[in-house]
Amino acid sequence: MATTKTQTDATEHSGDVRLSGISKTYGTFTAVHPLDLTVPQGSFFALLGASGCGKTTTLRMIAGLEEPSSGTVHLGDQDVTALPPYKRPVNTVFQSYALFPHLDIFENVAFGLRRRGIKSVKKQVGEMLDLVQLGEQARKKPHQLSGGQQQRVAVARALINHPKVLLLDEPLGALDLKLRRQMQLELKRIQTEVGITFVHVTHDQEEAMTMADQVAVMNGGRVEQLGAPADLYENPRTTFVANFLGTSNLIEAEVDTHGADEVVVKAAGDKLVLPVARCAAPARAGGKVLVGVRPEKISITHADEAGSIPEGRNRITGKISNTSFIGVSTQYMVDCAACPEFEVYAQNIDRDARLAPGADVVLHWNPAHTFGLDADQSLLAGTTGDAGVAEGETV
Amino acid sequence: MSTLTEAPPPLTPAAPEKKPPRTRGRWTPYWLLLPGILWLLVFFAAPMVYQASTSVQTGSLEEGYKVTWHFVTYWEAVSEYWPQFLRSVAYAASATVLCLLLGYPLAYLIAFRAGRWRNLIMTLVIAPFFTSFLIRTLAWKTILADGGPVVGVLNTLHVLDVTGWLGWTSGDRVLATPLAVVCGLTYNFLPFMILPLYTSLERIDGRLHEAAGDLYAKPSTVFRKVTFPLSMPGVVSGTLLTFIPATGDYVNASLLGSADTGMIGNVIQSQFLRVLDYPTAAALSFVLMAAILVMVTFYIRKSGTEDLV
Repeated sequence: MATTKTQTDATEHSGDVRLSGISKTYGTFTAVHPLDLTVPQGSFFALLGASGCGKTTTLRMIAGLEEPSSGTVHLGDQDVTALPPYKRPVNTVFQSYALFPHLDIFENVAFGLRRRGIKSVKKQVGEMLDLVQLGEQARKKPHQLSGGQQQRVAVARALINHPKVLLLDEPLGALDLKLRRQMQLELKRIQTEVGITFVHVTHDQEEAMTMADQVAVMNGGRVEQLGAPADLYENPRTTFVANFLGTSNLIEAEVDTHGADEVVVKAAGDKLVLPVARCAAPARAGGKVLVGVRPEKISITHADEAGSIPEGRNRITGKISNTSFIGVSTQYMVDCAACPEFEVYAQNIDRDARLAPGADVVLHWNPAHTFGLDADQSLLAGTTGDAGVAEGETV
Repeated sequence: MSTLTEAPPPLTPAAPEKKPPRTRGRWTPYWLLLPGILWLLVFFAAPMVYQASTSVQTGSLEEGYKVTWHFVTYWEAVSEYWPQFLRSVAYAASATVLCLLLGYPLAYLIAFRAGRWRNLIMTLVIAPFFTSFLIRTLAWKTILADGGPVVGVLNTLHVLDVTGWLGWTSGDRVLATPLAVVCGLTYNFLPFMILPLYTSLERIDGRLHEAAGDLYAKPSTVFRKVTFPLSMPGVVSGTLLTFIPATGDYVNASLLGSADTGMIGNVIQSQFLRVLDYPTAAALSFVLMAAILVMVTFYIRKSGTEDLV
């Protein structure tokens, strides 16, 4: 793999995938709104979104399986928009694998090489099957393999062609949870090893976050936000991202004062502080803003101990309405004036026995962990009930 | 909390005696099979045995026939009628190839390209079945009639010169030539080719085409390497459904052909119904059956689709 690596360095940026103003409409339905996106060469890029958000359509336009209604697709310096799939240096791992049922594993993997007129495929196919740990299964037919093995064949069949970009369309959707975790690590290992750009479509936010260097969160045919997983998680710019990636507590608040570094807001009598840099809303005194905080950033203290809470933390008072013990942590549902279902995840280090349903508590957190969002959007966007996280993806 | 002191609720009365395991269900599949088995026994097995015995009988219509294990009938039948055997196989094979060439593109079109027209085209494929086989074949007699439009066009295009040279037609005639018989066979058995082809093409996952295209196969290669191999079950069953009945057919040869285009079906028919030589007719039937079985077995082996059919 050393040669691949040096090649990659030598030709830096010549392998970027660039989508410019690309869109797709079916009749009156717009699957993908005009979209600009650059996937850097060698990165593991995830398109994340719920069913029907346009992520698969975007992927298929890169593959050439779908013709864009507008815009262009560039691979490096080459405009491939008008090229049919079989002329693009791009390969796809299909959602249902689409292995050729009449060919054995060896021939499935050799298919792309043979189509390009390469005669001696034996060594390459053997190496590729070893990479995905299927050397023993070479002469079996696809239906004789398990789901996980079929999935690896699909990856091998695409990777053997050394594409500029490997496209993965929900490749792990059909696997059970344990196998999925295992294959996530496996795919990440392969990607690091071969250094090929991976564009991965998924509806599973955990999958996107564990595997990808960069995630584009899509919703309704648009990219809501683009960034590294930790950045998206810590600094969501929309309620959709805040809710779709993990869980967020969102509170409707009114801007009280707007300083150089801090914004002070009022929510049902409680005063909360957040850094200006983390406020994605135009904050004016008296204006509305949505204040958010992740459940695991919050500490929960019984009301009797409120005095022990250090100064300078955001506080909210409430009453525990529900608790559930998860093992490593306990989830509390707290009824506050500002937000009737405030979620708190507390690590089970020292469990306070008084923290039972009905107890009065104070929730407090570091103001730096607070983020602000535009109040002109649905509080529930991106929650499972709203967007629906479906297994299949047809659009 | 007085319930604590109360006596525990009485045990449920002794569990009802275990019913003997139901045996009726075990026989249900056989009961359901019975009508079919009876049907086969009465209308397939019994006539087979009867015909087998007829084929080794000797005698005459007046004196009656007796089983004399006269196997020579087989030899006589084959040595006298082998030209008709060969002709049957040749005509049926030609018609099968024509059906495949005509039917495959149509089945492909219906399966992948027809969209909302699919059902309409399917209906049109089956529509000829709504009229009688005989009527339709007689219609071909009119279509191919001497001096008719088809003959006229073929003549102008000098096609008849070529087919005449090949021995498929004679002079200015199409009717009463091998070509007419093969055309009739092709026409009559085409739906039996299209339906299984369509079924197996329609079952092919469209994503396999995409995957092949994604792996550098141009459309013609996708067809050669993916679509056609995956449609082999349809090709095999379509050719069998066409070839087998076409080999034994006598209607097309008797309506559209002449004395020189007689097929084995015509011989059997005339032996049974006109000459009344039952042993020869029965022997010919068995030879035909055996020949078809051998050819079909060989064909299926050769096409390597035993597990697909």
